[in-house]
Amino acid sequence: MATAEATHRFQVGERVRVMQANPAGSPRTPAYVRGKSGIVTALHGSIENPLDHRGVYPPLCSVLFSVHEIFCRASQDTLSVDLHEDWLAPAEPRHR
Amino acid sequence: MANSAQTAHGHMQDHEGHVRAVEADLEYWRTKRLEPRLIQLHRRGVLTLYDLISAAAHVPAALPAAGEATHDMESRIRALEDGLDEYIRGVALASIDSSDYPFVIEDTRKERGDYDEFFRIAKPPHASTLTERIARLEHDLREYQHLLDVLMRALIDKGVLTMQQLERQRAFLAGRGAWNGARIVARAWVDPVFKQALLTRGREAVHELNIPPGRLGKLGVAENTATLHNVVVCTLCSCYPHDLLGDPPWWYRDDTYKERIVRDPRGTLADRFNLQLPESVEVRVRDSTSDVRWMVLPRRPAGTDGWSEEELARLVTIDSLVGTAPALTPAAPAQAECSVPR
Repeated sequence: MATAEATHRFQVGERVRVMQANPAGSPRTPAYVRGKSGIVTALHGSIENPLDHRGVYPPLCSVLFSVHEIFCRASQDTLSVDLHEDWLAPAEPRHR
Repeated sequence: MANSAQTAHGHMQDHEGHVRAVEADLEYWRTKRLEPRLIQLHRRGVLTLYDLISAAAHVPAALPAAGEATHDMESRIRALEDGLDEYIRGVALASIDSSDYPFVIEDTRKERGDYDEFFRIAKPPHASTLTERIARLEHDLREYQHLLDVLMRALIDKGVLTMQQLERQRAFLAGRGAWNGARIVARAWVDPVFKQALLTRGREAVHELNIPPGRLGKLGVAENTATLHNVVVCTLCSCYPHDLLGDPPWWYRDDTYKERIVRDPRGTLADRFNLQLPESVEVRVRDSTSDVRWMVLPRRPAGTDGWSEEELARLVTIDSLVGTAPALTPAAPAQAECSVPR
């Protein structure tokens, strides 16, 4: 796990924003989280999955979103979505 | 499987619900598995359309069973469910990769239009009355099964697959299944060291149960606690640790489940699955969007102190592995448990 984490640009607990579009990225970022922000909860590294994907995608993070923020409805529930880092940007400027 | 939405009661209570399940699942296996497979084989020149026509000459179409329309509704629905199960097993056999033509699952998703509204394989509209819908399903299932038989014949005739590969795949399919999931959960309930290994290392951990760990990416295990309830979906297609746990419940592949569970997790669990969770419990949806394929580790039911692993495993249902139900309680008769092989 330690080596997997070393490849990540983001850390657990960091707030990230999902890009609106990323034509060169993997198609597996659901529309409902695009443009939304969430918190990184787990780092999975680059997962080799030759049965599923041709080639290896960038490192994968689990990102936690709130149903309330995404769908603008009263809810205390959450959505955990696994996203590749090339789809993510820091949600606010990083402090030095 | 077709009948896993309803509990496996001896008597069928909701005919319409069973028919709806068969309709949805049959269309899934046609539009998402068999026909995309045919298109894929055709596009790559593995099988030509003419190969199919040639094979069809040797494979007779099934005729309607004698007296089919005169049987009572319940036995017709059961026959449909059995026919669907056989069709699903056949499609899984037809989906083996020949070593000469390696396919990647992601290509299949693109080619069948999972990411593109324009390229979906259309669903025909349903007839109106329940009897008409059953008759239509009987007709459709015969046609789909015939097409599947023709495809298998063409694959063998063309030498794309060998009988030996088919036998190997048959044995593999028989070995996977929800009972594996039940055993994994029961071991995690009794053995904290195993549980920790499972949560952190996933597939690797199941070796000690002599379960083949499979190779579909990483296994994610989402643990339910007193304050957190997990439920799994795959909104982009229907990813699930199939290779380890067999097929998920039929509605896992159904678009209405995918759309509703992310928008209103708690409400969907209550309305559709009759699972009421207190305000103090956070409901967390795990969308299996990429290389992690998720299963839920349900909570151990109260009143099971001193139970053996085998007894505990019988409390684990296929729905509890997805998170739309808790594990069974000792008081409830274990009717919908994950079936023990053989």
